[in-house]
Amino acid sequence: MVKKKNPLTRAVIYILLIGLTVITLTPLIWMLSSSLKLDSEVFSIPIKWIPDNPQWSNYAKIWEKIPLLTFTFNSVKLTVIITIIQVITSSFAAYGFAKCKFKGRNILFLFYVATMAIPWQVYMLPQYSLMNSLHLVDTHIGYILMQSFNAFGVFLMRQAFISIPDELLEAARIDGLSEYGIYAKIALPLSKASITTLVIFTFVTIWNDYMGPMIYLNTETKKTLQLGIKMFIGQYSTEYGLVMAVSVLALVPVLIIFLIGQKQFVQGIASSGIKG
Amino acid sequence: MSGKAKAKKGGLSLTVRQNLIGYSFILPNFIGFFIFIFIPVMFSLVLSFSSWDGFNEIKFNGLNNFIDIFHDSVFLGAIWKTAYFSFFTVIFSMLASLGLALLLNQKIKARGFFRCALFFPYVASVVAVSVVFNAMLQPDYGPVNEFLRFIGISNPPGWLASTDRVIPGLIIVNVWRNMGYFMIIYLAGLQNIDQSLYEAAEIDGAKGWARFSKITWPLLSPSTFFVVMMLIINSFKVFDLVYLMTQGGPGTASTMLSQYIYNQAFISWDYGKSSAAAMILFLIVALLTVFQFKAEKKFVNY
Amino acid sequence: MKKKFVKTMAFGLAATMTATTLLAGCSNSSEDKGNSGSGTVTLTFPVWDLASNPYLNDIVDGFEETHPDIKINVVDVASSEYSNKLSVMLNGGSACDIVYIKDGDSTPSYAEKGQLEDLTPYIEKDGIDTSKYVSFDELNIDGKQTAIPFKTDYYVLYYNKDIFDAANVEYPSNDMTWSEWEEMCSKLTSGEGANKIYGGYLHTWQACVENWAVQDGKNTILGPDYSFMKPAYEMALRMQDAGTIMDYSTLKTSNIAYASPFQQGTVATLPMGTWFSSMMIAKKDAGETNVNWGIATLPHPDGVPAGSTVGSITPMGINANSEYKDEAWEFIKYACGEEGANSLIARGQMPAYQDENTLNDLAALEGMPEGSAEAMKTTSIVLDRPIDSASAEVNQMLSEEHSLIMIKEKPIDDVLKEMSDRSKEIQGE
Repeated sequence: MVKKKNPLTRAVIYILLIGLTVITLTPLIWMLSSSLKLDSEVFSIPIKWIPDNPQWSNYAKIWEKIPLLTFTFNSVKLTVIITIIQVITSSFAAYGFAKCKFKGRNILFLFYVATMAIPWQVYMLPQYSLMNSLHLVDTHIGYILMQSFNAFGVFLMRQAFISIPDELLEAARIDGLSEYGIYAKIALPLSKASITTLVIFTFVTIWNDYMGPMIYLNTETKKTLQLGIKMFIGQYSTEYGLVMAVSVLALVPVLIIFLIGQKQFVQGIASSGIKG
Repeated sequence: MSGKAKAKKGGLSLTVRQNLIGYSFILPNFIGFFIFIFIPVMFSLVLSFSSWDGFNEIKFNGLNNFIDIFHDSVFLGAIWKTAYFSFFTVIFSMLASLGLALLLNQKIKARGFFRCALFFPYVASVVAVSVVFNAMLQPDYGPVNEFLRFIGISNPPGWLASTDRVIPGLIIVNVWRNMGYFMIIYLAGLQNIDQSLYEAAEIDGAKGWARFSKITWPLLSPSTFFVVMMLIINSFKVFDLVYLMTQGGPGTASTMLSQYIYNQAFISWDYGKSSAAAMILFLIVALLTVFQFKAEKKFVNY
Repeated sequence: MKKKFVKTMAFGLAATMTATTLLAGCSNSSEDKGNSGSGTVTLTFPVWDLASNPYLNDIVDGFEETHPDIKINVVDVASSEYSNKLSVMLNGGSACDIVYIKDGDSTPSYAEKGQLEDLTPYIEKDGIDTSKYVSFDELNIDGKQTAIPFKTDYYVLYYNKDIFDAANVEYPSNDMTWSEWEEMCSKLTSGEGANKIYGGYLHTWQACVENWAVQDGKNTILGPDYSFMKPAYEMALRMQDAGTIMDYSTLKTSNIAYASPFQQGTVATLPMGTWFSSMMIAKKDAGETNVNWGIATLPHPDGVPAGSTVGSITPMGINANSEYKDEAWEFIKYACGEEGANSLIARGQMPAYQDENTLNDLAALEGMPEGSAEAMKTTSIVLDRPIDSASAEVNQMLSEEHSLIMIKEKPIDDVLKEMSDRSKEIQGE
């Protein structure tokens, strides 16, 4: 649909993109190169981008020093379950907020948005006491329940549903579809891009969450990858080489999810959807 | 407007039924939200009017916490610093992410790679990011200042090692981290624009800027609303990055509200003052939210 | 449509009920995890950095062997968040029997909330010889023995023998003043750029300047008048200007850990805690450094006897709400007693329970440099942060102000004045 741009514009676009990408990727390169260094070399001045003597053994050491396999499994399990619950319940609620009229809708929605503005550190202690009295501390289910119902997903999906024209829904109602049918058969398919966004965001957030597992998980076999990274950061010394090696590995699943997900962002889906 | 024709068939009145349907959508999420988030948040609201060490009896003390924090120069400074930091973070992040989304929504080679590369800053562990940016912004030999000297600025800023340049330094890092994230929201938003509108515009001869200002920008307004809202909330709450990069220093030059809240709760064990500060943060964001909602009603097209 | 609605509501209800049962199920399973039947008791023991502190496992294993009816459930937490997590566990009512306190100076903040059991009756009952412990009485708060010191650490001077040999400077003696050290550092500094050798190194912690000001025991970091710190700051800035130590802002902005420059052989002398020896031994064993290192007593201010140093203690106590106080006491008695001390020494750590052999045993450890027993002798150990409920908050304030001096954003006198104002405000409450 987009007409062929003239070569000059295209060149400018590519130069801009490549420039931005180089700047953006510098830290990744830094991480990669540090993951192959000894701790004492990581902060040498001036910065050495290519280590003299690459320590490939760093990538072997991390599996020996901590139960990385268990941690990875736990991270995958928690991330997948929370992402699923989050996407289903928050898109459901978002449809209510966007397309149903009911008493107290705006107030309730304001509650949701308002809680986003409160830093977690403030209500962490009351939340912990509550979880403790429900015997949910140091359980995966406790962590899942705590993380699955945040306001962000509801807010994001509400914005997506709002942009669906009301006439489209009205037509479906006349065709005899219930509100639940409209949600499942029209609203969801039309918001693929936003669902993808929510999946990516939830995945990244839970995958990278450190404070939550830190406070709620005690048992070694229940811990997650991010807690594993911190095991190399000690009180008086940090094994930066190993920290970077685990960090690099931890990037892989998220980038895979992203690579799959971003294919949803192809111009042109929406136009066919609305007509259909 | 919902199902007027069917209203007569059901036994319940239209409004009651509409209400129930609405609640049924909200309910599954709301139960979890209410128990695990809303109740603890309300508890901290109560705390802001009390004195509590986290363990013993909670003593109601009226407005004392608020009086205390408004006499604390670190807190007052934190409000201004947070506002300064947030204002520029919001503007620059929004512009950068919109620009990137527009660029990367076109048919270009290796689009997936570019998107992935630009999303990477958000995914990378904050620990690694803070370490590398400390090195990049190093005043004497860091790449950023070497570049500035190269283009003829003989006295480049001290960035994180100077009290008046530390916040601009943090804004740069934060925008860098944010832009890929919000680019995704804009990309998703762009998918919702009906392509036939562009085709029609083309026939009318609208190009470039006109196309953007007449179609793209207005139709992206729900996304923009969301992006700005989230940016405001996130930048007012910013914690990890600052904590790892500067610990609020040098001095208290980058101590923002969330850092202050954290220090009160976890170093001074004064949950009352911590919650009071959080309520102020909440009020600021809530005011901006209400203002935004008003604006959304006026300007957002849907 | 109505039917559908009813269905959905029913589904929602069913889901909620399942969730509730699930929760109930969970609660049951977590309750009978520990202490049912058979007479075994499980004690929860939160610790930090388990992997890098192997003595903790040694002690737990040794204890479980001699006390078959008590199990220890070790909860490992990252050091930077340890204090937060411990407080959340204690405040949130979570089971936690042994309270292992990372920063000794924060003991009062737990004691004041009534979270630490008074150990006096236990000590009397078992006739513990309290004179063997370093800083035992410091943990006596309002007449209650709130905890027992488990570990101790104090500052000594580490040096790189090869740099001294190359510069033809005599190795540091165990009786040296800070001004002599400063002079020595200028002799040892050489080279430029990436090959520069620094005579000294002061880490970015405020402790690495302020400790030398409290070393005489006359003042503490609680101030509230901080003018006594001026000479220490003047020395640090002088050395920074002369280039005999690395620049504060360089260290801070590039996250340089004190260990790397010393282990790479670019720093000749390093005042650092006793914990650093076990790190050096480990790194040498792993072949990651080949520095030929030595230990000397920490330099001292003029007019203060040699062997006065600055240090800290790491205490253990019992959660006042624990159900198994007697069992927890058994563990503390073991960990903080002779057996625990031997486990600490075996891993190169300094126990708080000391007798005449402790230093010799520690110095005899494989990999410790010659003469360390002599160098580690002390005449007095001043606590770097006094055991006081205001310590943590004052310390946070000092770290903020410290950076202003070190990056030369403000003159020393102004900052010291500001410290004093803020300190009074914190302690006035």
